[in-house]
Amino acid sequence: MSVVDSPATRRPDDPGRSQQGRVPGHVAPKRRRQRGSSSTPWLLALPALLLIAGLLGYPLIRMLVLSFQNMRLRELLSGRTPPWVGFDQYTRVLTDGVFWAVVGRTVAFTFVSVIISVVFGLSIALLMRRVTRGVRMFMVVAMMFVWALPQLVAAQIFRWMTDSDFGVVNYLVDKLPGVDYQNHSWFVNPWQGWSVITTLVVWAGIPFLAITLNAGLTQVPKELLEAATVDGATPWQALRNIILPILKPLITIVTTLSVIWNFGLFTQAWVLRDGHPEPQFQTLATYSYTQAFGQSRYSLGSAIAVITVLLMLGVMIFYIRQMFRIGEVD
Amino acid sequence: MTTITKTPGTKPLSAGRAPEPKRDLKIATGLSHVALVAWALITAGPLLWVLLASFKSNTEIFLGKPFALPNSFSFDTYVNAWSDAHIGRYFINSVFVVVISTAGTMLLGAMAAYVLARYKFPGNRAIYYLFVSGLAFPTFMALAPLFYILKGIGLLGSFTGLILVYIAYSLPFTIFFLAAFFKSLPYEIEEAATVDGASHIRKFFQIMMPMARSGLVSITIFNIVGQWNQYLLPVVIMSGPGADQKLLLTQGIAQISVSAGYQAEWSTLFAALVLTILPMIIVYAIFQRQIQAGLTAGAVK
Repeated sequence: MSVVDSPATRRPDDPGRSQQGRVPGHVAPKRRRQRGSSSTPWLLALPALLLIAGLLGYPLIRMLVLSFQNMRLRELLSGRTPPWVGFDQYTRVLTDGVFWAVVGRTVAFTFVSVIISVVFGLSIALLMRRVTRGVRMFMVVAMMFVWALPQLVAAQIFRWMTDSDFGVVNYLVDKLPGVDYQNHSWFVNPWQGWSVITTLVVWAGIPFLAITLNAGLTQVPKELLEAATVDGATPWQALRNIILPILKPLITIVTTLSVIWNFGLFTQAWVLRDGHPEPQFQTLATYSYTQAFGQSRYSLGSAIAVITVLLMLGVMIFYIRQMFRIGEVD
Repeated sequence: MTTITKTPGTKPLSAGRAPEPKRDLKIATGLSHVALVAWALITAGPLLWVLLASFKSNTEIFLGKPFALPNSFSFDTYVNAWSDAHIGRYFINSVFVVVISTAGTMLLGAMAAYVLARYKFPGNRAIYYLFVSGLAFPTFMALAPLFYILKGIGLLGSFTGLILVYIAYSLPFTIFFLAAFFKSLPYEIEEAATVDGASHIRKFFQIMMPMARSGLVSITIFNIVGQWNQYLLPVVIMSGPGADQKLLLTQGIAQISVSAGYQAEWSTLFAALVLTILPMIIVYAIFQRQIQAGLTAGAVK
């Protein structure tokens, strides 16, 4: 009966009532005990809270402050407080054509890469339901390895594969009749370069999507699909009207996560371009980083980073809220 | 779809009524096998190619026959990578950091997620959103301030600092998923324990943790992978005097590949790349059963 402190309290009208309704002699000692430890829930959450506040929250606030100042190398070395410049950095960024080109490129890349990844991930997950258990396990293992590959390593592999002199891709494409791809450089033409980057991101991203969505598919009740088959539904109808609605929350989550991850594309572009991405291969993340650390315009880099987050939140707010709500309701 | 036709309930039906759709299904199943095998090749191809190259000598790599077998399968490149390029030390550093920080992440994350999912108190939602909003922020943005904070508290270039940072950056995702998972667990057992006078701590460790096992396993794997993956964070944090002994594997790899362009020991690099995959094979071997069950049910409830 002592639901007062119990985590099981889900009914909002409960606390007052249950206190009146308790049997005095029997429950009272326990209540006293529980009151003594009522701060325990807080204590359990406290370490995590402190770490996040200190190492994630505080840096973000610092960055926000920095974006309203003008921190250059001089201030950094002397330790002097950089001058306060208000919205100057933001005006500078927002009136810069280069910045908007970078924004457009990042958005386009995110859009294309997420669509391809999710469509492929979902198709592979659906196919995996159809094949035998052995093949399925083999798939999961193969994908585990690709998923577990550090981005840096995956990017190194792709860099080497697309190497203009010794890359395996040139070697293979060159084998096609009538095509001369010897010593072809994949990063002269930005379209080709971006297709290499996109391929890399999609290749590395699909395993997480396919494994997660495959897990979600196991939750689709077989009876529903059977009933649909008996009623003469085509596989396409079954997919549209049964599987997708059930899978929708999960698809929302993985899509949102993919957008967040791909929007922050850094390592892949960085490694494939040898740490010096040309202007046409800059994304918001690399652009902010080069401005801050390459050019020692720390405040400008911070302003770009803040705008990046605002842009992402602006576009994604609906989905992020939905994702939170999915995590909440149950 | 195949499973459907196999279930006893529908078998007589589909067999008696419509033989044609069944043949269609067979073709479809065959096609799905072909498609998946093709895709598996694309997925695993680059990895196999790296494995092959890791056994070649530097000259063989530049010979221009990427699919030729190496002259001899020797582990010289691995020995080189392990000792000469210090990959061995970085490897052990990485394992050490990831083991401790994953354990820490899981403990702190599970405790926080449990409280947020199961207790009602003022500020609960606010804290939850605070935690989870960390998901939306790309890591690279906090790099510079992070550097100064750690420098300020004297943890720059130390494993302690790196581990704390790893934990902090893994918590949002961990809490987001585990909170949802804890919510989906039945309340009755916990109520019974409360009635029997179990303390909060005891309920958490002896009842909730075992019940949440599959969810915990999937998020553990997720965190191991995520933290093994880190590159930018260690680059920023493992700097300063004496840090060259404490580099992580990903940094070591970057070092080899940056060091001298075409003069670099590419064969060493490939061996190092293969070594990064090794721990995942071990993790997979350990968690094999849980991955089959946990990854397929846990992460998504």
